[in-house]
Amino acid sequence: MLYRRTFLAAALLLAAAPAMAQEKLSVVATFSILGDFVKNVGGERVMLTTLVGPNGDAHVYAPSPADARKLFEAKLVIVNGLRYEGWIDRLVKASGTKAALAVASKGVKARETKDAHGHADAHALDPHAWQSVANAKTYVVNIRDALTLADPAGKDIYAKNAADYLRKLDALEAEIKAAVAAIPAARRKIITTHDAFGYFRLAYGIEFITPQGVSTDAEASAQDVARIIRQIKAQKIPAVFLENVSDPRLIKRIADETGARIGGTLFSDALSDDKGPAPTYIDMMRHNVKQLAAALTS
Amino acid sequence: MTAALRFRNLTLGYDRHPAVHHLDGSVETGALVAVVGPNGAGKTTLLKGIVGVIPPLAGAIERNRALPQDVAYLPQVLEIDRSFPITLYDFVAMGLWRSAGVFGGIGKQERARVETALATVGLQGFENRTIGTLSGGQMQRALFARLLLQDAPLILLDEPFASVDSQTVRDLLEIVHRWHGEKRTVIAVLHDLEVVRTQFPESLLLAREPVAWGPTAEVLSVENLLRARRMSEAFDDSAEVCEVDAA
Amino acid sequence: MYDFLIGPFVEFEFMRRALVGMAALSLGAAPVGVFLMLRRMSLTGDAMAHAILPGAAIGFLIAGLDLISMTVGGIVAGFAVALGAGVVSRMTELKEDASLAAFYLISLALGVLIVSLRGSNVDLLHVLFGSVLALDDATLILIAAFSTVTLFVHALLWRPLVLECVDPGFLRSVSRAGAPTHLVFLALVVINLVGGFHALGTLLAVGIMMLPAAAARFWARDTTRMIVVAVLVAMFSGYAGLLLSYHSGLPSGPAIILVAGLAYVVSLALGPVGGLRRYLVPGRHLEA
Repeated sequence: MLYRRTFLAAALLLAAAPAMAQEKLSVVATFSILGDFVKNVGGERVMLTTLVGPNGDAHVYAPSPADARKLFEAKLVIVNGLRYEGWIDRLVKASGTKAALAVASKGVKARETKDAHGHADAHALDPHAWQSVANAKTYVVNIRDALTLADPAGKDIYAKNAADYLRKLDALEAEIKAAVAAIPAARRKIITTHDAFGYFRLAYGIEFITPQGVSTDAEASAQDVARIIRQIKAQKIPAVFLENVSDPRLIKRIADETGARIGGTLFSDALSDDKGPAPTYIDMMRHNVKQLAAALTS
Repeated sequence: MTAALRFRNLTLGYDRHPAVHHLDGSVETGALVAVVGPNGAGKTTLLKGIVGVIPPLAGAIERNRALPQDVAYLPQVLEIDRSFPITLYDFVAMGLWRSAGVFGGIGKQERARVETALATVGLQGFENRTIGTLSGGQMQRALFARLLLQDAPLILLDEPFASVDSQTVRDLLEIVHRWHGEKRTVIAVLHDLEVVRTQFPESLLLAREPVAWGPTAEVLSVENLLRARRMSEAFDDSAEVCEVDAA
Repeated sequence: MYDFLIGPFVEFEFMRRALVGMAALSLGAAPVGVFLMLRRMSLTGDAMAHAILPGAAIGFLIAGLDLISMTVGGIVAGFAVALGAGVVSRMTELKEDASLAAFYLISLALGVLIVSLRGSNVDLLHVLFGSVLALDDATLILIAAFSTVTLFVHALLWRPLVLECVDPGFLRSVSRAGAPTHLVFLALVVINLVGGFHALGTLLAVGIMMLPAAAARFWARDTTRMIVVAVLVAMFSGYAGLLLSYHSGLPSGPAIILVAGLAYVVSLALGPVGGLRRYLVPGRHLEA
């Protein structure tokens, strides 16, 4: 009897071994926020590489040959879509990769952006869909499906991870809504340099006023700055926010002249590194909301 | 010592090739010396050596403790930017460097000196012209005016009368004689032997090596001139190292 | 009319600061530009602007968008390039323009390398692009200090500066001031560029240095007058450029430089000294 049980256990182990020794699915995510989603859904089954790292700006990212290599060795590439990564198509072609391409924002209802971002047409779509948690949930579902397609064996694990994470996202959304409700309605507006929070505004009702031209690519004109200052004074906007990818000196000048508070840093396009306040998507959203609430309620 | 300059076995040149070869002798204070010789004889090189622009390859020049501002040098090839927006007055006034230096003021006395200098060379009335509008002869006069202001005890002139009309030459020679009268030492490189014979009491005939040095009439003899013409103009790339010992 | 020309400056502090900043910058940059032009070194400004970049980049890497670190870094890099080029050209056969070109290109490559090594994707050139609309107290004081030093040094070293352009042989024969004067002048170029890039960005800082000088060439026959005209043109460009940016929405830096460019074209066509006017409006000659 003992021999047979041991024999059976050994046989089972041997059968399981190939499954355990199975290679991880190599996935490339274009930037840190997507990477965070992939990590949460894919877990241990996935070997993740991110192209645009923490605090990076995917708008102006210039890919290197090493990135092409990463693409080539990947089985699955996750991009944001909505023309966020202008450089990805060329890179994919150049790398000659056979990886499957998945668009995380599939199915998201996109809004138009007022930001120029170097695009010729002013009616470009706003790619920062993840700023609304509801959209983030869509992202997670899309990623789950893409992972399952590339690695059918992991279907159940992916489903479970995704479900867990989606629950966390629901809790996050409730937090955000509560925090915003605590801000007096008249004070729910801020100035920021980057039109990256349009989806946040649509979802949660805080107005993000983006002065035109005051962004990473365009240079400000006196007319723009004058307009912002007039607007802040007229509408009594309480706070001005920097973000982690643009010129803070101009913001300081505007804040000094209007008496508006300079809020903390809002994270729009990328997560912070591990030592920063926004190393994961959930942390990032929490951090942003906390900064907003702090600046607007006092 | 009364000598303004003393050459001790002087060799000057470029890239180890001698342009002036073993020159020995002295120039007395107050002398008026013409340096003559065929093309490539080393005359300009000698002046550059005296000014200090090129260091000797061998031997030495003793300058009787003269400072750079005690030497007024008029080079043959001028690096002057004629298009620069500066008036004749300001340009000539630069000659006051010896007294005014970098920061020194230019007061009434100095201004009077500038005007006198301009009058001496016949350029009164030209004060406000920019130097680009001057003719060749006028420019040369302006340079002499500047030399006048430099007030230097040693004056070196390299082909001062080249491409200048004869009236101007006469006028400028008067100034040279004035300097001689003021006991300044004047050394001039010239190619016009008539001018040398009539105007310069002392001559140095140079053909890389000194051919003759002394009173002009003796130096400019037919045989000396013939000897000078025979000297080699070019640098010899295959020349041996010079074995002549210093005396 | 008042509202159009003066109103914006009364209403907005940032406009007043920008105006003051441009005025201060003009006082320093214009004289330097005139001398650069007279010394046939007009492109040196552009070369030096690129040379400064890695120094400012290192400053940015060490301490972020901080005035002092970027300024010090830029100045150090600029001085190093200027000094290196000057020494090489004086001690070897290589002339100044070639040795400067060599040094600034090396400097620029180093700058690009440093930026790429850091790994961040932030477009450094863009971050270093200052804005005249964002001048804080520290930057204003810095620009004013640089301009004061520049004017003072110009007054002090006027004679050797002029003589080095007109007759360097003569300067060499009467004084040893030539070489140090040249280096001091290059130092002035560097500090004015560094001040300029805080206000206008590295590339446009050269513009406010060279365009007024080029325009002034057509209005004056002597150096002093030329400098006065250049300063006035630069100040006017600042004023008009800011107004243009205010009323039409053009970016401020390029607007200022465009006005300066327009001043240059107008001067070229209509200036009384050495411009195109001789061909456009010949006029009759005098008796003598």
